Amino acid sequence: MIMTKKKIVKLSLFVVGIGIIVAVSIALYLFNMPHRDVQATAADFTYTASEIVQEYLADSEKANEKYLDEEGESKILQVSGMVSSISEDFNHQKVVLLKNDNDPAGVSCTFTQETNDGVTNVSIGSQITVKGVIRSGATYDDDLGMYEHVIMEKCKIISYKESNH
Amino acid sequence: MKKLMLSAIAFSMFALLAFSSIATKLISSKTSVKFFSTTPAEDIEANNYKTVSTIDTSTGDVVFSLPMQSFEFEKALMQKHFNSTDFLDTKKYPKAKFVGKITNLNNINFEKDGTYKVTVDGELTIKDIAKQQIIDGTIVVNGKIIEVTSKFKITLADHGIAFKNGKPSTNIAKTVEVTLVAEYPEQ
Repeated sequence: MIMTKKKIVKLSLFVVGIGIIVAVSIALYLFNMPHRDVQATAADFTYTASEIVQEYLADSEKANEKYLDEEGESKILQVSGMVSSISEDFNHQKVVLLKNDNDPAGVSCTFTQETNDGVTNVSIGSQITVKGVIRSGATYDDDLGMYEHVIMEKCKIISYKESNH
Repeated sequence: MKKLMLSAIAFSMFALLAFSSIATKLISSKTSVKFFSTTPAEDIEANNYKTVSTIDTSTGDVVFSLPMQSFEFEKALMQKHFNSTDFLDTKKYPKAKFVGKITNLNNINFEKDGTYKVTVDGELTIKDIAKQQIIDGTIVVNGKIIEVTSKFKITLADHGIAFKNGKPSTNIAKTVEVTLVAEYPEQ
């Protein structure tokens, strides 16, 4: 079949049109791509607060290599420990510090406005398990003159055990 | 007996000194750091609530340590760009840091309620590249709480944050504005 000039023009316009629609949809999809839902994603590792703190204090570079992601979608951890303090940040998110009395640093877990409620009946001294994404590790900082905690965000309580005191 | 007394006095002096040197350090983990970039194409904002800071009220030493992956953007894609090796490379450089000294410490009374202008001269280290920054801010002493606020600009090229080509290079300003709030409970 021999195509007329008109037909060729029509066909190429059609192909170009489809191409533009596909390109625009991909761009829109990428631009509006939602954030990763940390709580809907399975935990990569399960630890006690002491274990992850000790791993970082032993070799922070190695630990960063293992837990941090190049695009910021770092590993999701499930961490158990003793509640050492409870506070709230400027974004009205609850912050629970899991720290063993014998450790120089702990795991600071920041909740979200959706998961904050789970913290309401948590008391200091109780044992809890929290799932969240790691943002940075524990280290001794010379300039601050103190230890920095492991930082986890997007946290949610997985389990809770009343303290014995 | 006299010797014992003397050593007891020496010991208590030492204990007092040690105690007071601890007591002059303010620690804040309730902070907000926002950066804002504006170009005709787009306004971009990111917030970080996980910065830790200390102020030594006797020496004027000021330190801020920022976990870079804690910067939250409205758009997931922007957050990925920000963290990637092309921009802040947060896997390799998970923290940014500011270490400085208050230059007008004599004008600030951390024990007396009031609003004080403060100037801090220090070094901001992002991606392992240190750059001098002289930052003006305000300290508000209000009872048991000391609040520091500041607004300053960072030139991205100073820290090796270069935009070779592509969309982000035209949509991000060459200098970004940083707004900082930190609350230090009295120790």
